Amino acid sequence: MLLLQVIVGGLLLGAIYALFSSGLTLIWGMMNFINFAHGEFVMLGMYVSLLVVMWLGGGPAAFGFAAAFSLFVLGVFVYLSLIRYVLRGPMLSQILSTFGLALLLRYTAFWIFSANFVSLPQTSLSGTLNVGGVLMPVPQLVAGVIAILLTIGLHLMLTRTKVGSQLLAVSEDRGAAMLMGIRPDRMQALAWGLSAGAAGIAGALMAIAYPWSPSVGETFGLTAFVVVALGGFGSVPGALLAGLIIGLIQALSAFWFGPIYKDIIVYALFVALLWLRPQGLMGKA
Amino acid sequence: MKIPAVTPTTLLAAGLLIYPLIFSGPFYLDIGVTFLLAAISASAWNIVGGYAGQVSVGHAMFFGLGAYAPLLCYTLFQWAPIAGIPFGIVFSIALAVLIGIPTFRLTGHYFSMATIAVAELIRIYFGTWDLVGAAIGLQGPATARGWWDLTFRSELPYYYIFLAVLAVLLHLTFLIEHRRFGYYLRAIKAGERAARSLGVPVQQIKIKALILSAVFTSLAGSLYSVKTGFIDPESGFGILVSVQMVIIAALGGAGKLYGPFVGALILIPLQTATNTWFGGGGTGLTFILYGGIIVLIARYEPGGLFELWERIAPRGWRRKNAS
Amino acid sequence: MWRFRVLKAAAAAATLFAFSAAEPVMAADVVKIGILWPLTGNAAAAGQASKAAAEVAVDIINNAHPELGDDLPLAKTAGLPNMGGAKLELVFVDHQGNPSLAQQLATRLITQDKVDVLMGAYQSSCSFTATAVAERYGIPFMVGESAALNITGRGFKWVFRGTPIASDYARTYMRFFGDMKKQGKKVDSIAIVNENTDYGTSVADAIVEEAKKANIPVAIRIPYIASSTDVSAQVLQLKEKQPDVVIFISYTADSILYMKTMKNLDYAPPMVIGDDTGFSDPSFIPAVADVAQGVMNRSAWAIGKPGSTTYKINEMYKAKTGRDLDDTSARNMQSFFALADAINRAGSTDPEKMRDALTKTDLKPEQLMMGYEGVKFDNTGQNILAATYLIQLHDKKYELIWPDKAAEAKLQWPMAGWKK
Repeated sequence: MLLLQVIVGGLLLGAIYALFSSGLTLIWGMMNFINFAHGEFVMLGMYVSLLVVMWLGGGPAAFGFAAAFSLFVLGVFVYLSLIRYVLRGPMLSQILSTFGLALLLRYTAFWIFSANFVSLPQTSLSGTLNVGGVLMPVPQLVAGVIAILLTIGLHLMLTRTKVGSQLLAVSEDRGAAMLMGIRPDRMQALAWGLSAGAAGIAGALMAIAYPWSPSVGETFGLTAFVVVALGGFGSVPGALLAGLIIGLIQALSAFWFGPIYKDIIVYALFVALLWLRPQGLMGKA
Repeated sequence: MKIPAVTPTTLLAAGLLIYPLIFSGPFYLDIGVTFLLAAISASAWNIVGGYAGQVSVGHAMFFGLGAYAPLLCYTLFQWAPIAGIPFGIVFSIALAVLIGIPTFRLTGHYFSMATIAVAELIRIYFGTWDLVGAAIGLQGPATARGWWDLTFRSELPYYYIFLAVLAVLLHLTFLIEHRRFGYYLRAIKAGERAARSLGVPVQQIKIKALILSAVFTSLAGSLYSVKTGFIDPESGFGILVSVQMVIIAALGGAGKLYGPFVGALILIPLQTATNTWFGGGGTGLTFILYGGIIVLIARYEPGGLFELWERIAPRGWRRKNAS
Repeated sequence: MWRFRVLKAAAAAATLFAFSAAEPVMAADVVKIGILWPLTGNAAAAGQASKAAAEVAVDIINNAHPELGDDLPLAKTAGLPNMGGAKLELVFVDHQGNPSLAQQLATRLITQDKVDVLMGAYQSSCSFTATAVAERYGIPFMVGESAALNITGRGFKWVFRGTPIASDYARTYMRFFGDMKKQGKKVDSIAIVNENTDYGTSVADAIVEEAKKANIPVAIRIPYIASSTDVSAQVLQLKEKQPDVVIFISYTADSILYMKTMKNLDYAPPMVIGDDTGFSDPSFIPAVADVAQGVMNRSAWAIGKPGSTTYKINEMYKAKTGRDLDDTSARNMQSFFALADAINRAGSTDPEKMRDALTKTDLKPEQLMMGYEGVKFDNTGQNILAATYLIQLHDKKYELIWPDKAAEAKLQWPMAGWKK
């Protein structure tokens, strides 16, 4: 019974990881671009939620939408004003620009909201569900469901819609896509908007369950990279699978060996897996 | 045989040699020492990350090993900390081989991610390992028992020691640039498959580059801990240590001899200035400005500031771009 | 302003000369105190709160505050009376939690800003490197609050620490458990959950050691990595062991997460003791008041009844920051008062004289804002009279419940937790 509880807890945590990472994998896969500021997008999503609750008294649906929308706009803006130019440089300039961007965003939030921890007041998504003795906190459960929906949505959009095929076309061959009348800049701006918007939703959901401060992005940042790499860069379903696996491994190893070993075990398994299967779980060889 | 860019190099060397005479205050000396240390570690990273194009974001693993070795020798055996430096280097070489063999099969971001994971793994492990002081870390001798402890009230000796190490490292890099090894590295960066088909022993060259890079990164770590007299998992193996090397190299120009040097020349004074002006206020303005300037440089000079120099420098002073 | 200050100091010096011509008085018009705290980075919240507390302390010392009563040293008068009313001037620097930067900034404060004394540095790592600089230059360094045991006791001459240390806390817990056992409460086993950096490790080690001496079995000790994303494994392990008391040594985010997770996983231990820090963060109570009723916390700081000195200090702090003063910042503030008191007694900014005055510090409980038994440094520089209270969360406020002689409310045992 206890073990079942640990497993369920691990999967719910994994869903949060997947949610956090889905936006990251989108641009990583599409543009071969590492975004070190992704955690900061999530952080901003959390603060947007707080402001909506404080000023407008909105519920989860309202602040979830507000966070997704405002981060979408920010993502497009970041692409048009910065990333577009960085893409012309070598791969290292990606690290440079997004590392600088991360500091800029984190400490702008720090300036406005101070270093103090905040948390959302109780929302309609609080409480715990008891399913046959296994306890599931409602916020995490909702986050899990939304993570799965978001993954399916993004995946379907990429594979079944015209916009999706255009996005993929640009990532496959920019020049050929242009010849087909697709505007790469517009598609890539859209991808950044979607990625940041997904981060905004993730932030809104995490704000229900976690207290946070401007440096919260760091906490999840590294795990998100592992999730994306494990899932295979650019594979949205891969990120979901990898997120769930990592959540599960963390929960089980924390329970069996102690919480300080959970990250060691995750990193060790990750390196071992990369060695055996360098393209990630669901990445293309 | 090309004549190396004599004028700027000599000017630079002269400037560095007399810096302590102009800025003799201990605080300015410390900034100088911090700058040299940053230039050493970023230049060491540059060998594998810049020339060979294998972007490691986990070089803190070598830096940390190098940093722990002197203080561990002091704590366990009461040796002078410098006696531990060779151990740090030996362990770093071993780690480089151990890590290099599996991870060099990976390319691009996978290599970066694998190096991050290994560095984090070591950091967390050191945080739980009592022999190395676990989370609290290790300290060096607070006051010197003799000159061999290298614990000085004045930073001047550190300055010239660090400068000598940097000179050796840059000279070595310069030599590599013009040897077959250097051409191999650039060939690998340009295209691994093509290099292999031309008969470049890719795997072997990459491992050699990593070993060389690890040796100097480890040395940088040792110098850091001897000078600071303290090391803990975060300041030895923390991801910011790795990222700082990458940032400095990228800012100046990766794969260029003086790239990391220029990067450190910009970044360290920038860090110090923003912290001096705004740190005490506690508003976070330090990092808003620091991050903002990095973003601007990446936006307008994505190839690094060294490229800007190559465009604006007087003709005779430009180094012929080797790649 | 500057001229006025000089005139005033000169006038004060002249008056003193008139009375005692024998000893020349060093009439320094300002005493510069360099303070190193993390004002950005992960521990920024603690650094910022302590900075505000130090600024309130400077206001109290530099200006006349007769309303704070006669006992609190230097409150009633403006400036340092023994130095002709000299004012304190603070120079804050931000070491960002980076030990190498702390070293550089300590050097800067001493050689560039020419400060007379130093204070800092919160994280033990930064205290280690910054105190070593002070030791080399022969400048007194007051460690306001840092956990690692061996910050004092390294043979340093110039380092003093005003706050209690881990072993003091551990002994306090054991005395409390002893009292509880006498009252018939069941304390047959305890569990320790600690974050694994310098702070959590130091305190947890001390508790394990003292528990052994007090013959209280430690059912389980769970170290974990701070800022976890999930703490359910820890809570489930506790649930399995069923200890009588759980002691959490955690920072803010984790403390809040533990309380929420305990409710989510239907775990209600008879008693939870938070070891200050996260549980004292002003963000803690609003976040979890409804699920953490009866949680105990260690604190040497109590706001006290309206009208009391501590209450007025808290009002001053609140006017500045909008939040109540927390224990960490208050302990830094107390260390600051002890330092100012010593400088005043030294009557000079000569380092040797200030050091001498620090070693002779002997503040009585009524002279303090904290619940210590006094401030008196042993030959390693550690305050040996430091003590702490235990407080308990009742409704939306912590109330002092132990030791009995100071208690302002009745202990609730077992705690209600989330079962209301």
